[in-house]
Amino acid sequence: MTFELVLVLAAGLFSVGLFGALSQQSIVMIMMGIELMIGGVIVAAADFWHFLAPAAADGQVVIVVAVVAMAVEMAMGFAVTTALYRARQVDTTDMARELKG
Amino acid sequence: MEAVSLWGLGVVALACAVAVFACDSMARATFALLGSLVCVGGVVFVLGLPYLGVVTVLMMVMEMVVMAVFMVAYMMNPAGLMPMSMLHNKRGALGISAAVFASLTGAVFLVDWPQRRGSPPRDTTFQVGKALMGGQMLTMVVLGFVLLATMVAATVLALHRGRYDRLGDDLDRCPARDPAGGGVGR
Amino acid sequence: MSALLWALIALPLGAGAALLLSGRRWNALAPGLGLAAAAGTFGLAVASAVFRPEASAPLFAGVRAGLRVDGLSAVLVVAVAAVTTAVLVASPGELGPRENRGRFFGLMLLFAGAMTVTVTATTLPPLLMAWEVMGATSWALIGFWWHRPDRVRAADTAFVTTRAADLGLYLAAGAAMAGGVGSLDLTALTGAQGGWRHVACAGLVVAALGKSAQLPFSFWLSHAMRGPGPVSALLHSATMVAAGAYLLLRLHPLLVATGWAAPLVAWTGGVTALALGVVAVAQRALKQLLAASTSSQVGFMVLAAGVGDPSGGTLQLLAHAAAKSALFLAAGAWLTSLGTEQLPALRGAVRRHPLLGAGFVAGALALAGLPPLSLWVAKDEVLAAARAQSPGLYALGLAAAAVAAGYSVKALWYVTRPLPHDHDHDHDHGQEQDGGRRGARGPTRSVSTPVVVLAAAAVFLGVAALPGLSGPLRGVLGGGQQHAPNPWEMALSAAVALAAAGAAWWWLPRSAHAPRTASAGKRWAADWLSMERAARAVLVRPAFALARALAAFDDRAVDGAVHHLARGGLTLARGAARADDHGLDGAVRAVAAGCRRLGAWARRPQTGLLHQYYAQAVVGFTLLLSIVLLVR
Repeated sequence: MTFELVLVLAAGLFSVGLFGALSQQSIVMIMMGIELMIGGVIVAAADFWHFLAPAAADGQVVIVVAVVAMAVEMAMGFAVTTALYRARQVDTTDMARELKG
Repeated sequence: MEAVSLWGLGVVALACAVAVFACDSMARATFALLGSLVCVGGVVFVLGLPYLGVVTVLMMVMEMVVMAVFMVAYMMNPAGLMPMSMLHNKRGALGISAAVFASLTGAVFLVDWPQRRGSPPRDTTFQVGKALMGGQMLTMVVLGFVLLATMVAATVLALHRGRYDRLGDDLDRCPARDPAGGGVGR
Repeated sequence: MSALLWALIALPLGAGAALLLSGRRWNALAPGLGLAAAAGTFGLAVASAVFRPEASAPLFAGVRAGLRVDGLSAVLVVAVAAVTTAVLVASPGELGPRENRGRFFGLMLLFAGAMTVTVTATTLPPLLMAWEVMGATSWALIGFWWHRPDRVRAADTAFVTTRAADLGLYLAAGAAMAGGVGSLDLTALTGAQGGWRHVACAGLVVAALGKSAQLPFSFWLSHAMRGPGPVSALLHSATMVAAGAYLLLRLHPLLVATGWAAPLVAWTGGVTALALGVVAVAQRALKQLLAASTSSQVGFMVLAAGVGDPSGGTLQLLAHAAAKSALFLAAGAWLTSLGTEQLPALRGAVRRHPLLGAGFVAGALALAGLPPLSLWVAKDEVLAAARAQSPGLYALGLAAAAVAAGYSVKALWYVTRPLPHDHDHDHDHGQEQDGGRRGARGPTRSVSTPVVVLAAAAVFLGVAALPGLSGPLRGVLGGGQQHAPNPWEMALSAAVALAAAGAAWWWLPRSAHAPRTASAGKRWAADWLSMERAARAVLVRPAFALARALAAFDDRAVDGAVHHLARGGLTLARGAARADDHGLDGAVRAVAAGCRRLGAWARRPQTGLLHQYYAQAVVGFTLLLSIVLLVR
């Protein structure tokens, strides 16, 4: 039961993060949403390791990778925001719609 | 004991996650996110991974502080003194996220999870370290390269002036155009 | 000996063709050359009459072109050559140096050559060919001044009328071939079988009556007077109109053999003589009077052919040829010098140019049939033969002789009146009423001499035919003594002629000063008995109506079919084009438009907005994952 509930927690974090990523205009806020999503992934990975395969290290490696992804995402996100702001003085995604088809 | 702590940490994490997008103030949103992710780290700790839990907490703290700086620098409403909604497509996003949550929850409860196999080792830290340096060496190397690439890319993107500004589109301007002279190609 | 005959034919034909082709180039030489050719022909004709040659050449399969000079032909070739020479002597007076003399002399000689072939032919093909050449040259001669459309129309009318009658010759040739006369020899035509003989005879009779201007064909002679004077003098007195009579004279055995042809021909000739004589009396223009009188006198020749009197008919032919050509030449000369041919305007014409006038008077007296001139003798012969056939014919002929005296005296009376008071001015203003050229020159010796010679011939020719002195002539012509007139017949005809002449002389002054209201009968006679109107109504108008109907049929039905076919093709093409544009092109365009629309729809997700890309990605991944999970 605990296993499922922790998974529900992970799903909840993921969904809240998704809501944020989809609905926020500011790039930084979108990044926060993505952080939350990755947080949910971390919780789920730990839950799976603990309740299904504690003898293997694969669950932990997934957590390591997720953490690195968080760091990378943050760094690249801020770099892109800086470059975008320098080029066009905008920091909301609604203003950056040059790739419209 | 374990269940209670899990429960408590879960509730707090969710509450803080919701609070991230409900606050007007950017600083508060940042710290709400910090709270949520700290709780995530706590959950990981409770589930028997102390090292990773602590690493998560540490990382989150660093990130959130950096984020706070950037938040104040780029965002319009850092103190939240003007209540305004910076949302778009709120209903669509709500719909999609609700659908995702529903499907995931349904999957959680409907899937026939396999039985637990094995038991946790005494030293989980050693386990992950051994794995990363042994069987999961490829993962380690890739992560290393990714981090390197990220560093280089972030630096390049964040630079105010790059090579092309100095040396022209074909990198053949001589001498380079610098605001203050000097440098190697003088 | 046949070379003589070929030369006789070749000389006028060849010289005529050469002069015709030379046209205006040898205008100065044309009269001399023409006259030389005519004189040569006269010499050859006399020689032929003496030596009686014969010639023949192959023509078609089984048919030969044969020529022969026998008794009848001998007299005629000499007569034709003599009249041709005389007329050609007088021609330069009428045709000035500015005219196309080469063409004129060439056509006249061609005509003379064709007439020579006609009177010497023994088979139908050369006769037919020469007949056609005569018709063609007469058309060209009547319409000689072709710049005037009225003269050309007159020539066309004359030509078409005689040509229509000439179809009888073709009919006769076809009937002869069908009837078994393969050689088409004139003497063998009586041997044609059964009905074909009647058909051949009918065709020949029609052709002869047409050429000789007998009823009902007489009206073309009125139109033929539009030509130059010498043309009338040669064609319409001595040669062409006599050709029909000659043909009937030659074919008398055939006429007798069919049984109905001889009486028909005789009565036609008699009625023509009387009727056209009355027409002549009613005319007011000299040339028209002479034309009607020609038709009337040729009626006597046709009568002679019908009753079988070759000597009488030939004598009539010769006498009439001499008298009429003299009269026509004089009339032409007066038309040139005085500019008119209306009888009232010709008062005193004989006194202006005495020699010419004397010739005219002699000719007119001969034409009247007064004793002892040639035409009286000839008519007596013919009437004697007619009396032997039927008393009705005799009475008809006597009445026609009286009328002949009447119109001759009419012409004579007018021209012998005293000169009008403004005689000196008449030379300067001649009234033109028929489009003749304004006369400015007086007739020269070249015209007067032939007139006098011909008139003398007309006067004295009769001597050769008087009973007792006519032996040689009859021997030449081969006719027997059976038709010699009795003395009382001669006295009766003389009395009739003199009485008619005296009555006309007495009555003319009264009619000349009387008011000019003409009775209906007189108008009908003056209009040549309305024959032309009848011919137009019966033949010309239906022919044109048929032509118009056929043309309309061609335009609407035949053309229309083609036109509608073309339109149908065009409509079909337009329909196909529409199907191609709307159907095929439309389908292609619809495909392109559909693709464009699909492309526009495909672009819509690409909004450039990050959150929408996220949303699309999430939805897509969810679907994919659910599919994978559920399928596996």
